[in-house]
Amino acid sequence: MSGSAPSRTERESRLLHALVELADTLVDDYDVVDVLHRLVEHCVQLLDATVAGLMLSDQRGGLRVVAYSSAQTRTLELFQVQASEGPCYDCAHSGEAVLVADLSKEVQRWPRFAPLALAGGFASVHAVPMRLRRETIGTLNLFRHETGLLSDEDLLVVRTLADTATIGILQERAIRRGEVVTEQLQMALNSRVVIEQAKGVLAFAGNLDMEQAFHTLRGYARNGGRRLADVAREVVLGELRPEVVLSPRPTDL
Amino acid sequence: MIEARATVIAALRDSNSELDVLARVIRACVGLLPVDGASISVLSGPQERETLYASDVIAMKIENVQFDLGEGPCFEAFATRRPVLVPDLSQASVLAWPVFAAAIAALPIGAIFAFPLQAGAIGIGAIDLYRSRPGWLSADELAVALEVVDVVTAVLLGVLLGEFDGADGLRGVLSPGREQVHQATGMVLAALGISAEEALSRLRGYAFAMGRPLDEVAKDIVNRELSPLELRA
Repeated sequence: MSGSAPSRTERESRLLHALVELADTLVDDYDVVDVLHRLVEHCVQLLDATVAGLMLSDQRGGLRVVAYSSAQTRTLELFQVQASEGPCYDCAHSGEAVLVADLSKEVQRWPRFAPLALAGGFASVHAVPMRLRRETIGTLNLFRHETGLLSDEDLLVVRTLADTATIGILQERAIRRGEVVTEQLQMALNSRVVIEQAKGVLAFAGNLDMEQAFHTLRGYARNGGRRLADVAREVVLGELRPEVVLSPRPTDL
Repeated sequence: MIEARATVIAALRDSNSELDVLARVIRACVGLLPVDGASISVLSGPQERETLYASDVIAMKIENVQFDLGEGPCFEAFATRRPVLVPDLSQASVLAWPVFAAAIAALPIGAIFAFPLQAGAIGIGAIDLYRSRPGWLSADELAVALEVVDVVTAVLLGVLLGEFDGADGLRGVLSPGREQVHQATGMVLAALGISAEEALSRLRGYAFAMGRPLDEVAKDIVNRELSPLELRA
């Protein structure tokens, strides 16, 4: 996923584009999981990261991954292990950013996470909190192949995207009603599960890997202007046949 | 928080039957949280529901009134599959659910918290908590409530699947970091042309028969090391 670093003006224009696109998606009946996926993909492009992922508090003392830029099983495990240790975990519990310039020096600090990340070819990691008042509702995580930290300016971009994600999840009305945070978080977490189930259906029916299955599902939802979670649910319940989702759109022929 | 979990797990361990489990878990929940009553309703048909357990007559009445009228927070959580949390019922219900509000006006109900019981697209039912005075839950209380929702979901999946074998076996299905279990559920349902509930049941049955953890079996399926067709009945 990692390409050459974009120039400053190019990046500024991309950032602006990303924020406008995200703002556009935050209409009345928007798709939270889709918005979060766009956001992690923007992170990868804007910051020359290899992988980005977003974890949300499950409000039971744990963290769950809800969006990640690469659907490979190995990447997924990198987030899963952070339910109990790692930069995301520390970031969520302290509410402070956790910036690691060289993961090879942190094996003692994170005996499960660090070796797994190093084996995946990652050398540095940045985790920034998604904060709402005094509560940390999740973290945005960037993995890079290179050692070293992002510049302050880049870090500001990450924080801006994390704040955008927070707004994306909570909407304006949520900020006034505490219990809506719970409604939104719990719904997003279950939507993620539905999407995983639907990916499995498409992966088997179309002989795809999980990443291809996800892109197929999202392509179908976007093409029809539908919510990702709704399409996923119909696929799992058998209301939408996998062949229909898998068949190429007329424009692709 | 840890104590609360132990109380819930103890309620699970000491029970003889699934219904007994639910009753004990719900009573533990009412004991641990600042709520006055609770109930569990499940889908028993396409548009049918059944109240499996209600801790008192008010909890039962809350359920019945809503499903008779077709409106109210629990009905909405049940129908829309998302939590409907109403810390101050007198503020919210008149606007959102006027008929329901009128029907329960004489009852001492200040707040209702309705949580759907579900695992992705697998819809099971809802758990409803009520308190006589208005007020939201603290972060710790909310965590306990959500753990109870998880446990009840797992128990009910076990009940529905006929495979309840203790708390440890159930937690594996729904606890965090089990994305591959959900992906494998999708693969099995596509391969065998069965429902998601049944696919999950086959996965658990296979894992049990092979003496292997469920998430390892799920990973093998996702990584194409085990064909989902092997899980044919």
